[in-house]
Amino acid sequence: MKKLINVLSTAAFGSAVALSLSVSTAHAQEWPTKEVRLVVPYAPGGTTDVLSRRVADLLKDELNANVVVENRPGAGSTVATGRLARGGRDADHTILMASPGHTIGAAIYPSLAYDPVEDFLFIQNMLDIPNVMVVPANSPYESAVEFIEAAQDNNMSFSSSGVGSSIHMSGELFKTLTGSNMTHVPFAGSGAALPALLGGDVDVSFENMPTVFSHIQSGDLRALAVTSEERSEFLPDVPTLKEIGEHNLDQLVTTAWFGLIAHNSFPEEAFATMQEALQQVMEREEFTNFVEQLGGEKGTIGGDEFKTFVADEVARWDAVAAEAGLRQE
Amino acid sequence: MENINEVLQLFLATENFIAIAVGVLVGVVVGSIPGLTATMAVALALPFTFSMEPVAAILLLVGIYKGGMYGGSITAILIRTPGSPASACTLLDGYPMAQQGKAKKALQMALYSSVIADFISNIALIFFAAYLAKIALNFGAPEFFWLICFSLTIIISLASGSMIKGLIAALLGILLSLVGLDSVFGSQRLTFGNYNLMDSISFIPLLIGLFAIPEIIEFYRKKIVPHIRAKASGAGVSLAEMKRSLTSIVRGSLIGVIIGAIPGTGATAAAFISYSDAKRRSPHSERFGKGEVEGVAASEAGNNGVAGATLIPLLSLGIPGDVITAIILGAFMVHGLTPGPILFQENLPLIYALFLGIMLSSVILLFVGSAAIRYFSLIADIPKSILFPIVLMFCVYGSYAVNNDTFDVWLMLAFGVMGYLFNRTGIPAAPFLIGFILGPMFEDNLRRSLLIGSNDLSIFVRGPITWFFIALTVGSILLALYRFISARHKAKQAANEPEANA
Repeated sequence: MKKLINVLSTAAFGSAVALSLSVSTAHAQEWPTKEVRLVVPYAPGGTTDVLSRRVADLLKDELNANVVVENRPGAGSTVATGRLARGGRDADHTILMASPGHTIGAAIYPSLAYDPVEDFLFIQNMLDIPNVMVVPANSPYESAVEFIEAAQDNNMSFSSSGVGSSIHMSGELFKTLTGSNMTHVPFAGSGAALPALLGGDVDVSFENMPTVFSHIQSGDLRALAVTSEERSEFLPDVPTLKEIGEHNLDQLVTTAWFGLIAHNSFPEEAFATMQEALQQVMEREEFTNFVEQLGGEKGTIGGDEFKTFVADEVARWDAVAAEAGLRQE
Repeated sequence: MENINEVLQLFLATENFIAIAVGVLVGVVVGSIPGLTATMAVALALPFTFSMEPVAAILLLVGIYKGGMYGGSITAILIRTPGSPASACTLLDGYPMAQQGKAKKALQMALYSSVIADFISNIALIFFAAYLAKIALNFGAPEFFWLICFSLTIIISLASGSMIKGLIAALLGILLSLVGLDSVFGSQRLTFGNYNLMDSISFIPLLIGLFAIPEIIEFYRKKIVPHIRAKASGAGVSLAEMKRSLTSIVRGSLIGVIIGAIPGTGATAAAFISYSDAKRRSPHSERFGKGEVEGVAASEAGNNGVAGATLIPLLSLGIPGDVITAIILGAFMVHGLTPGPILFQENLPLIYALFLGIMLSSVILLFVGSAAIRYFSLIADIPKSILFPIVLMFCVYGSYAVNNDTFDVWLMLAFGVMGYLFNRTGIPAAPFLIGFILGPMFEDNLRRSLLIGSNDLSIFVRGPITWFFIALTVGSILLALYRFISARHKAKQAANEPEANA
């Protein structure tokens, strides 16, 4: 038994040393007084992660402080977001890269322990990526209207990167607004979903622009419409669903957005410093190039405007989730 | 000619060589640390590549990927803790070998097998990318479904000993794989309202708990310091062993290539399928799981065969097959390059420079791996009373590092207890893992096929690929039955003969 205690204490001590390696303290008067944690609520490798690392890299120069990216994946993005909502000691130096998962998660799980709008401070939306309505090259449909008219009589299938993804929810929204018959076919990520679309196993998808852009260029996929407010400069010939307008499509404007949020106790001074620093970051050439390569556009809203946007999104997805029977009590 | 010059100009930059060497080295080290996976290392290295030339940037990431794939086997062999999920299969024979004082032999075989598989995988990437990419595109949910069925039949061979215990293990694996969100409806299954379980049970804490912890419990339960055997610097792989294992290595590499070329299966499954295939064909299959060097060879060939091949759908179709290739796709895009057919038309010299670098990475893996073996094999010489507390620390830290969450540490300890009970009751861990890995793929592809086909069952026999895998599945079941019956027959005869003589 004594031996066991020895072992456990050695292990515990070692773990403590190892864990504390990542925590350092610095002293200064103005915010930030120590390193800033940028929480990514997803595993490494996705758009949120890549964007966050790019932003953290540029933010370091603007804040003159270390910005540490921390991945905290789990249950969509709700594990990390729930943790942020609880506040705690480091809440004044913690920011989180929120994305559609923030609002969709709240719609699907109404019993979440946090309020997706009131518990947070919305700093700045950094990036908007449109979704593209794409069909396989050999699909008979040349326009969104043709597709809808066919889908009102026949059952169509649409693929997504998983239940509750922005791709899935865009499809559900499209289905509800247009009264189409569509079956959702979920895959484990966009990488796995793409072959089914290219091979014609599914009829349509509302994929993120970066995933399908090269396939549209090469002619393997046909873009019928983009879901953004205005046409994308990358696909200038492709209409927006909003401008098509028929079948309630004027109501279908949705983008994958990525923006920084903090706990609602985030100090005012820190909020102002962050907003200023992020404006500088967004003006940097590196950031502009990065956004272009993703086929997206820089975010334009921050503060209260950003908050209103998120509140509207929550309400919208809430209705879609209820309609599609996705709400998990 | 102009092209060749351009390719060489792109390839022969000093930066490229440094990138490959650093990448492979980082990969081997990170891969060997439990809980720190190649995926994490690639994600962390990504920002550093923003300012690099595109070829060097991609080669750095590919180097980490390949190094990590091998590195995982080091701790799997030495301390029964797979450094990354793909090396879980390697420990089945690797660790028993280390216990028998053959750590160096196991580590070397893992390295040689990895390098050969890597090389074969690269060749497939360079010469057959277009062809394999076409197969990958024709691989829809029904084809996937039959591939998984076939894989499940191969692993019957893993349940040797007691078929009942093997089945219990496999079903338990499937049961635990059900925990999490339903893939179609998003509803919670077996999570008991715990949000930590919503993303299903984390694989790395499960592996660490299942394999490393029982060894530690066993050691302290016996309360004796076992005799420290001969130095781990013992004999390396002999030519005869290499020759004997070569067929398994080549077959394993090809299995890895095919699995790698199809997005969404992964290196862990490839390692197990290759291992089961080698065991089934071996004349002394009873030695597998007890320290058979061919088992290490087959497993490592399977997982490293995947590494080059996952780049096939990425480069030729722009489809990332796993998280690592998704990050590499990100690196391409940051440099303004979009993988896919257009890249081959517009940036052919760059592609060839990449191919040369990828080939070189196999060679560098051989050197880095050899050096790593020299130092890592010293671990086998550390007395267990000192080693095991350190291993336990890594178990805790590794489980924590996956999601930065203490829940995973508790999960790891719970699986440690389960692994210990498995050991005491003789329930094999391999079928459990297979159930855990393949169970969800089986379910998801079955349901996906039904959704795509609007519940029309004819989708399961829709084309040559489905027919091919149905034939393989049926053949494999019949072969297993035949072997089972003939073994019983022989046993009966053997039992009858003494009676007849008496």
